[in-house]
Parts: sequence; C-alpha cells; structure tokens
Amino acid sequence: MRRAPAAIAAAAAGLGGVLAFHTNRSAAILSVAPSSTAPSPATVPAGGSTTPSTTTVPAGGVRTATGAEENYGYGVLAVRVTVRGQRITDVAIANLQAPEPYSQSLAAQAIPILRNEVLQAQSAQINALSGATYTSEGYAYSLQSALDKLHMK
Amino acid sequence: MIVQAEPVMGTVVSFHVFSGPVPEAETRAAVDKACELLHRHDEVFSTWRPESPMSRLRTGELALAEAPPEIAAVLELCREAKQMTCGWFDPWAMPGGVDPTGLVKGWAAARALEVLERAGVDAAIVNAGGDVASLGRPPGGGRWKVGINHPWRADALACVLEIEAAVATSGCYERGAHLIDPTDGSTPTSVASATVTGPHLAFVDALATAVAVAGDRGMDLVRSLEGYDAYIIRVDGTEDATAGIAFADALDGSQRTRRVS
Repeated sequence: MRRAPAAIAAAAAGLGGVLAFHTNRSAAILSVAPSSTAPSPATVPAGGSTTPSTTTVPAGGVRTATGAEENYGYGVLAVRVTVRGQRITDVAIANLQAPEPYSQSLAAQAIPILRNEVLQAQSAQINALSGATYTSEGYAYSLQSALDKLHMK
Repeated sequence: MIVQAEPVMGTVVSFHVFSGPVPEAETRAAVDKACELLHRHDEVFSTWRPESPMSRLRTGELALAEAPPEIAAVLELCREAKQMTCGWFDPWAMPGGVDPTGLVKGWAAARALEVLERAGVDAAIVNAGGDVASLGRPPGGGRWKVGINHPWRADALACVLEIEAAVATSGCYERGAHLIDPTDGSTPTSVASATVTGPHLAFVDALATAVAVAGDRGMDLVRSLEGYDAYIIRVDGTEDATAGIAFADALDGSQRTRRVS
C-alpha cells in the first residue's frame, strides 16, 4: 500500500525551534539544538505546539492536524504535524501520557530525535543522524494518521 | 537534491538524493519506487501488525515455505549475523518466537538504496530511523558525515562520524548508574549507545544491537571483523572506539561533548 510521501522543506525545517509537550503529570519543554548555523526561518512558530489556539499560523496553505493517539510502549502519544502544501514544516507532540517520570524521561530523550529525523534541515555539515529511539512505532503511526487527515497522499 | 521523508516500518525513513546526470523526474520516480518497496517489506516483516506474514510465522499460522520468499532470505542473513556476532545478536532468543526486527530495518534501507543505484543515481543517503546507508560521495567530495545523537542529552550530538558506506546506532538510554556488582561492589560498565560502521547495513544494524548488549566484549568482537568498526558511549559517560572510526570536526565545541582520547 502506498502511503503518504512528504517532501521536507529543507530550508524551512529549522531545528532551532522549541518542542514543547504536556504530560498528564507535568509539562516539559525541550530545546532542539540547531544542527547547523543556518538561520531558522520564521515559518515554524516556535513554542506553538502546546497552544494551538493562540498560535499565529502564517497564511498560504499552512495546515495542521493531530494524529491518532498511539501506544508507544511506555504510554500514549499523539503527534501534530504542520504542512505547507505537500511539505512538512513542523512535527510536535500534541499529547503525551506517560505513567511515570521515568517513562516521561525516556520519551523526552527519544522524541526530539524523531522530530529531527522528520525535519532534518539540509546541513552543509551533517548528512544524516543516527541514534537509538524508543517511541518510534507509535510516533510513526500517529504521524501517518495526521498526514492522512491532511490528505497528504 | 531531492529530500523525502516517508513514515514506514515504525519510523521515518528519509532520503537525500543527488541525481547527478539522471533527470529529476526519473530520480523522483526511483524514490517513490524505493518507498513502495519499504512499505511492502513493512507489510511482510512487521511484528507490530498481527496480520503480517512474519507475525503469522511467529504464531505458527504460516509455514516458512508458504511465506513470502524475502522472509527466508532475511532469516538466512539473521543466521549469518548470529554467527558473525558469536550469538550476541540472536533473533531466535527473542520472546514470542524468531524476531528479525534488529536486522530488517537496515536490510530494507539498503534495498531501498539499491533501487536508487539501479536508477543511475550518483549519490544518496537513506536514513531509516538512524540506520543509514549511503551511495557514492556527498557533493563536494569527502565522506558522508553522520551525527550521532547523544544518548541522554536530547540537545546534543555525541560526535560526528565520517562514513564510507553504512552506520547504525543501538542501545538503551536507560542509565544503570544505581546498579552495583555484588562481587566487587563496582558499578557495572554497560553501553548506553553503540554505533557500528561497515559495508553492509543489515550486518551493521545487527552488530550495533550485539555491541549494545555485549559492551566491551562486543568491541573486541568488532575489532576481529574486517571492514567493521564501532563506537560506544558507556552509561558512565566514557567512550571507546575501534581504530577505523573517523571522527569529523564538523561541529563547534559546544555541540561536541567529548571525544575519544
């Protein structure tokens, strides 16, 4: 079965944004370090992931959808994806429920890596990223369902 | 350059493709074909989906002879990988029956890259959730640079490696700092992140898993294998690398946390 291919806007996929997500116990905010010195364009609203109702969404075909809640082994997560045309411009965690601080900490480590995987800006310095991850199954399926809602076929 | 990110196989597989003399439309068609292949492999091998042939093989519903032929091919690779790693990588030791998951993602990414190669693409990198296969040389020459995520610092890379062909990272981000060895009272040295480089991504993937489990003994194992190298970060933060690991000075000091002395 053919699933949604999504071309990344390499230039727009700044890694300098802030990835924020809520858990049922506490809120955690993670900085995603830029992997290059390339400036992060303003098309990705920094910090917008926890407050969609107040996020200023640029006009011009930018759409957002939240994927299904998926079990990721240590809890439940849902991914929110922002696209411009057929390009993913941001991926954020809309909902993360982890029963223990330990699980939250695992997710906090793995999720930014997965986000980087999706949004990896084309860097003159690095061609790819490698690292172990825990939450990838649920993350990928929630991302897929979010893209399906946006008819990214 | 064509960049595409495909959610498949429980992760996101990204393509960075430099067409060279191939027209861009043909390259895009080749990337689409590679993605279709990944989805086909996902449907066959997913142990996440109970209806997949691999899941049905595990429950005994399906005989190997009736299964898609790529399952037998991958299980043969698993046998080779088990032998190569002296049993540290053992899909037959998994709970719930034989589970080739530790090798399949790397194998599938390498197959996807072959699709691009057959289409005449000059240079490309396929990254299946950290299992990276490369073809040719990056624009400007030199070697491909792959950032290795730091195992417990989400905002940092542990290092950047220059690779010839393939790289994979395995390991757990669970720190065992509170464990004590009852025989001598020491803190057991185990691996938080194990990265392996080498010619074939399927074996690189399996070796990364083996080294993550075997720790320092895994490093000795990799040293005995021609063409393969390894880099580990132990749970105590110390590092080790085999002789063929090439560190790149691509990042400034703020992102490079430490290097092997």
